[in-house]
Amino acid sequence: MAVAAVHAGGIADHIHPEPQGFVRRYVFSLDHKIIGIQYIITAFVFFMLAGLLAEAIRTQLLNPGGGFVANGTYNEIYSIHGSTMVWLVTIPLLTGGFGNLVFPIMIGARDVAFPWLNMLSFWIFPVSGLMLFSSFLLGAPTAGWMEYPPVSLQGAAGTSMWCAAIFLVGVSSTMTGINFVVTILKMRAPGMTFTRMPLFVWGQFATAPLLMIATTALAAALAALFIERQFGVPFFDPAKGGSPVMWQHMFWFYSHPAVYIMILPAFGIISEVLPTFARKPIFGYKLIAFSSMSIALLGFMVWAHHMFTSGLAPFLQLPFMILTYVIGVPTGIKIFSWTATLFRGKIHYTTAMLFAIGFIALFTIGGITGIFLAAIPFDLHVHGTYFIVAHLHYVLVGGSLMGIFAGMYYWFPKMSGRLLNETLGKLHFWLFFIGFNLTFLPMHWLGMEGMPREVATYDPQFTFWNRFESFASYLMTFAILIFFFNAIWSIRNGKRAGANPWGARTLEWQIPSPPNYYNFKHVPTVYGLPYDFSTPLPYKGLDEELTDSPPVPAGAH
Amino acid sequence: MSVASLARGAHGELDQLYIETRELRLQGFLLFLVSDCVLFSSFIFAYLYLRNSGQGWPPPGIQRLDVAFAAWNSVVLFGSGATMHYALENFKHGKWMAYMWFLLATIVLGAGFLGGQAYEYNHLIYAEHVTWWGSGIFGASFFTLTGMHGMHVFFGVCYLTVLVLQSSAGVYTRGKYFGITAGTLYWHFVDVIWVVLFSIFYLL
Amino acid sequence: MNAATIERLGAVIAGIVVAVVAFYALYKDWRAEGTENQVFKLMLLLLGLGAVLALLAGLNVVGFAPPKGA
Repeated sequence: MAVAAVHAGGIADHIHPEPQGFVRRYVFSLDHKIIGIQYIITAFVFFMLAGLLAEAIRTQLLNPGGGFVANGTYNEIYSIHGSTMVWLVTIPLLTGGFGNLVFPIMIGARDVAFPWLNMLSFWIFPVSGLMLFSSFLLGAPTAGWMEYPPVSLQGAAGTSMWCAAIFLVGVSSTMTGINFVVTILKMRAPGMTFTRMPLFVWGQFATAPLLMIATTALAAALAALFIERQFGVPFFDPAKGGSPVMWQHMFWFYSHPAVYIMILPAFGIISEVLPTFARKPIFGYKLIAFSSMSIALLGFMVWAHHMFTSGLAPFLQLPFMILTYVIGVPTGIKIFSWTATLFRGKIHYTTAMLFAIGFIALFTIGGITGIFLAAIPFDLHVHGTYFIVAHLHYVLVGGSLMGIFAGMYYWFPKMSGRLLNETLGKLHFWLFFIGFNLTFLPMHWLGMEGMPREVATYDPQFTFWNRFESFASYLMTFAILIFFFNAIWSIRNGKRAGANPWGARTLEWQIPSPPNYYNFKHVPTVYGLPYDFSTPLPYKGLDEELTDSPPVPAGAH
Repeated sequence: MSVASLARGAHGELDQLYIETRELRLQGFLLFLVSDCVLFSSFIFAYLYLRNSGQGWPPPGIQRLDVAFAAWNSVVLFGSGATMHYALENFKHGKWMAYMWFLLATIVLGAGFLGGQAYEYNHLIYAEHVTWWGSGIFGASFFTLTGMHGMHVFFGVCYLTVLVLQSSAGVYTRGKYFGITAGTLYWHFVDVIWVVLFSIFYLL
Repeated sequence: MNAATIERLGAVIAGIVVAVVAFYALYKDWRAEGTENQVFKLMLLLLGLGAVLALLAGLNVVGFAPPKGA
């Protein structure tokens, strides 16, 4: 009933006046586009802070004996670096940020299902970020972003602050997930069937249930750790009968799906950027869409592959190893589909496209080392070494972050109405790509030779490559400074973009940049996939005037 | 389109918009219950994991829980689920007084369950010296899970009380009563969680 | 008759009542449509099973007899 009403344009075709006043328009805004931009700006601020922490890590590792910061401080720094990058940068950028910014427009909706909840989700996020960073004042957590007990039970008071902060940001993610699922299920434009949704929407649709379900599991683990630390209620302390391995189960039951939360929306971004700049229909639309869903589902069944060294029963190790291999299949399907999309395409090497191609290259390396790590014998050898650090950075920086940058260059005109500078953008890409590989590629062999991660000092035999990596990481930071300069400069001085600077075909490019408050003058009817270049656009009714007049406010007669 | 802003529309449009947004709110609420269910599941997993970590159950020095009282108290809660169901049914059929009485009965039974749980906690803490923090993994899992459930029941009782006040003020009409549906869903959810908790703590 | 016996008796009698009511409500609602009614049906089923469990616990069929009052 309601679905029919929505599809007939019932919900969608009432336009309410835009709220006036700075606070209601830009601070406590209910508009999904503004909230998306708020997410992006806040997350990039945290990205800068966590990037500074990363440089502190690399500077410490210039010398085998360290000496830049105290060894205890080093532990705090890498813990907060990891926590920030995962929970305050990558997840908010990809879901709350780009998700909010474009996916409601892509499905032809005027807003998300619960705008008020959306605003609440956003405002919890900076608060939890401030809490996380204020844990430095109390003595920050020292057990890495995983916070394994018993170390996290012995950590300073800031560890409890960490629990509370991550719990809060988890609440925010859960609300975003609920909001997105309902929006995609119920608020699509007429004719926007599931198999006509753009692939970015499919990425969000696969991610949102993970946000909703997995994050709540993490909330339980954090609550248990918090009450154990504050009230001495034993869950994880082996001295009182608790089990530290249980934390690993509860944590990874969240955090492995979290890996997919951080990569599935990036897959979506890549699947938008590639066909647009190859001027070719995406290869294997349904395969890409359904492989996202199967990755999301399988993601819940592989968590214990992080725990092969924790004394997991051997009869459990084997299925987790096999399932982890299985998850490589849908991921491989995507890589091949993207490559086939590029094949014989008319490729435009814009910065967004460079980042998308870079994504395919680097994510493939990260994915393949993931397949290595799924093998129990290999994992036992390199567990807790720099090989893991290399692998996770190839997936999260080479994958998620490259996807984020591709999305930034692609959608910046939609946000601001102006293009990012392409020359600076290409400089950014090349310096970042080279700097990234020089930083993280050597970590593979350092790890194979046995350099342990999360330690403030190292054996002098590793000195050369560590110094090499540190200098390369400065190059990477320089590239990111170029990006920040570019973004700030282009907001005022960039070339005006117009509605559709890339010649893209999804719905968000068919309306002005930046879009009007309620996105569409008239909600369009959708007739097909958005990827068939050389055919007319599959939308009807975008330029019509509203048929039913806007509601008259009560008492205005 | 914000639900809030739609509700502010002109009167004639309100019911139509209510019908349209009701489905969104229903799904959102169901998904909230799903994620709440995951929260309980995680703690239940923790309990079962600790229970099977090799010390036997209950751990040395702790008596088994009293099944008789818990069975009686559970039936009180399950009964409140049945009365809530009939409150909603009666509301749907326009039987106002029956609705009110069933709703009040639900509140009384829910509060009775909370009282029973308070009695049980009291007995455990003062007679058997089993505490949240001092009784190892038994106290940790039992008090955390039942306490979390008790909080849910408490919030439910508060919500149902708000429903009584709202209903008396005429907020809900026969065509527009999502608040009551949500309350019923939530209350059933709380009951069903207790079915699981009762089974794994008292019967297993 | 001690307290435990009264509690058990109460659990059995009230358990029968609640189980019958829950299953009757489920029977009446069996053909109801719509998302929330599907959920209600599942909930009523579990509720009835819960009442049966409590009833059986009262009869000492499932669960362990507590050391006191037995």
